[in-house]
Amino acid sequence: MTTYLIRRLLLLVPTLIGITLLTFLLIRLAPGNAALLKGGGGENGGRAMTAEQRETVIKLYDLDKPAHVAYALWIWKVFHGNLGDSFVDHRPVTQKISERLPLTISLTGTSLILSYLVAIPLGVVAAIKRGQTVDRTISFVVFVLYSIPSFAAALLLILFVAGGDYLNLLPMYGKNSINASEMSDGAWLLDRIRHMILPVICLTYASLASISRYARVSMLEVLGQDFIRTARAKGLAERVVILRHALRNALIPIITIFTLELPVLISGAIILEEIFSLPGMGQLVFQSLESRDIPVIMGCTTLAAVITLLSYLLADILYVAVDPRITYE
Amino acid sequence: MNAASSDTYTGRIWRRFSADAFARNGLRIVIALFVIAALAPLLANSHAILRVADGQISFPLFSSLESIEWRFLIYVPLGGLAFLFRQNFVARPGRSALIFAGIIAVVEIAIALHHPINDSTNDRDRAASFKLMPPIVYSPIESTLDQFAPPSRRHPCGTDSTGRDIAARLLHGARISLSIGFVSQTIALSIGILFGGLAGYYRGWSDIVVCRFIEIMDCFPSLLLILVIISFTGSQNNIFVIMAVIGFTSWTGVARLVRGEFLRLSAQPFTLAAKAVGAGDARIILRHLLPNSLGPILVVGTFGVASAILIESSLSFLGFGMQAPTPSWGDILSESRRYIDFAWWLAFFPGLAILITIMSYNFVGEGLRDAVDPRLRVK
Repeated sequence: MTTYLIRRLLLLVPTLIGITLLTFLLIRLAPGNAALLKGGGGENGGRAMTAEQRETVIKLYDLDKPAHVAYALWIWKVFHGNLGDSFVDHRPVTQKISERLPLTISLTGTSLILSYLVAIPLGVVAAIKRGQTVDRTISFVVFVLYSIPSFAAALLLILFVAGGDYLNLLPMYGKNSINASEMSDGAWLLDRIRHMILPVICLTYASLASISRYARVSMLEVLGQDFIRTARAKGLAERVVILRHALRNALIPIITIFTLELPVLISGAIILEEIFSLPGMGQLVFQSLESRDIPVIMGCTTLAAVITLLSYLLADILYVAVDPRITYE
Repeated sequence: MNAASSDTYTGRIWRRFSADAFARNGLRIVIALFVIAALAPLLANSHAILRVADGQISFPLFSSLESIEWRFLIYVPLGGLAFLFRQNFVARPGRSALIFAGIIAVVEIAIALHHPINDSTNDRDRAASFKLMPPIVYSPIESTLDQFAPPSRRHPCGTDSTGRDIAARLLHGARISLSIGFVSQTIALSIGILFGGLAGYYRGWSDIVVCRFIEIMDCFPSLLLILVIISFTGSQNNIFVIMAVIGFTSWTGVARLVRGEFLRLSAQPFTLAAKAVGAGDARIILRHLLPNSLGPILVVGTFGVASAILIESSLSFLGFGMQAPTPSWGDILSESRRYIDFAWWLAFFPGLAILITIMSYNFVGEGLRDAVDPRLRVK
């Protein structure tokens, strides 16, 4: 197991270098750069900048060096634990990211947990009532939900329940009300929760389909096995058979799937964060992409890639950990 | 079709597929959407199909069509016909190729000779002794004074901020969504089959390289990579750029699948037998491995079309989509954001159009999956 782990960890290095190199080259080669966007004037707007000032900025950002040299400089700094400063406001990338992570994680984390809490029971019920109306209704409903584009749902939810001409139950956008700083802790939390309800719903409903399908298939597989028949034969209550014997075993493959979804936690949701004006990771990436803020984009991509690769690895390890029949030796 | 010819692999898949009501109806809706997309200019246009005035008969709609619209109108039904009579063509490939070339030449010459009349006046209010108008009497990029009209008899899906008819825009937008879904997935399938095939058949170094590459591609948050690539072309994109970008970023699933299938099939007795009698790589891949993995590939492709359509609308929504007046579903949704406090129809109808399209594609994909591999059948 240890050798396997070491080999897997070593394999992460070339992949990570590949990802960061690809991202770096793509952003560097894309037309427009931070210096031009900042003070180029002309079509991109921004303050007018003298040619001399622009030269200074270009030098400062390593934009005068060839892309591969600039990449080498970037990765050298990363190895020293420094992700660099943003081109836009010269604040450290780590600081910018850590400001936004809590909001994104609370949003995506709630949604992730919620989707499993809802979808697993749905899948289990569908498996128990296999082929009956309940089963087919569940499959159909989650399927329709899966097909609704989240941004259309978000817009319509805003229109109908949040401040449009119809119901006005929830706030339209933002992470807090304007007067949030004057609120007591309890009121502040309540305010935050009210702001998060719609984004969480929009982020959650679409994933119900795949999770409940996995839960259903996994449950059906377990229900067909001999030990379930044994449990029933010795006269256990159906509830005990389902909850203690079947469900526990059915959850094993679902753990792996859950692990593979962990990267979503930090990459955020670009479109939903845009619609609801939530200052999360998705919005940060989107904005830095528009302003060609290379250090921030690189920081976000690297973080996302590391988490993704680690979650792949974690999934493989868990796979072995929960099922003693599989080994990687 | 007689019983003997239908008991083929394809025949069996088709029978299992059409036994599933959801899949069957999904396919019907997809075909209907393609027909609507092909006929869009005939369904929503401010020009009359037939107009009789001052003793003269004219066809203003047809003379206003651009050459690209003519191609849509002619080639899509031709493609359908070719599919229906495919057996006749397979029987005599040489003659069929000649016929096709002839038809294409005639059509192209006719299109080249046709000069669209840029007549911005509409036939709605123009007096005529007889006129036959399309079901929706507005063109997709035609502004009227009737701004923010809620759905009514005149505008079944309402109008937007410049008084453009949403129904007309949706019908024409169907072409964008459907063709992007179709073409981008064709690109994704080609790349995926190529890379997956290389990795799965030759293994060794090509496998390692391809797998690393797939892993790298999969590590990007999906929209991020597309947004980075699309920033090369700026915000003024044409349909082909979008198709290519979506295609080049969504092939990894196909490649994984093809790799797995090729690995599995390479060990099967029929492949070993082919190898034993001295078949070359090309023959084994094209005649044995690929045909046997086409089923699952088609399944992935169908789901891929659905997600490509969703990606396209997300891109338009974020402002990275098609150039301004082009009607696209995501674009209408994007515009609706500004007026979301009252104009529900701006978000509802394009959302519904995307929902219906994606759902029917997914039903087709689901049915196809069950038909291709009955072991996976969950019902």
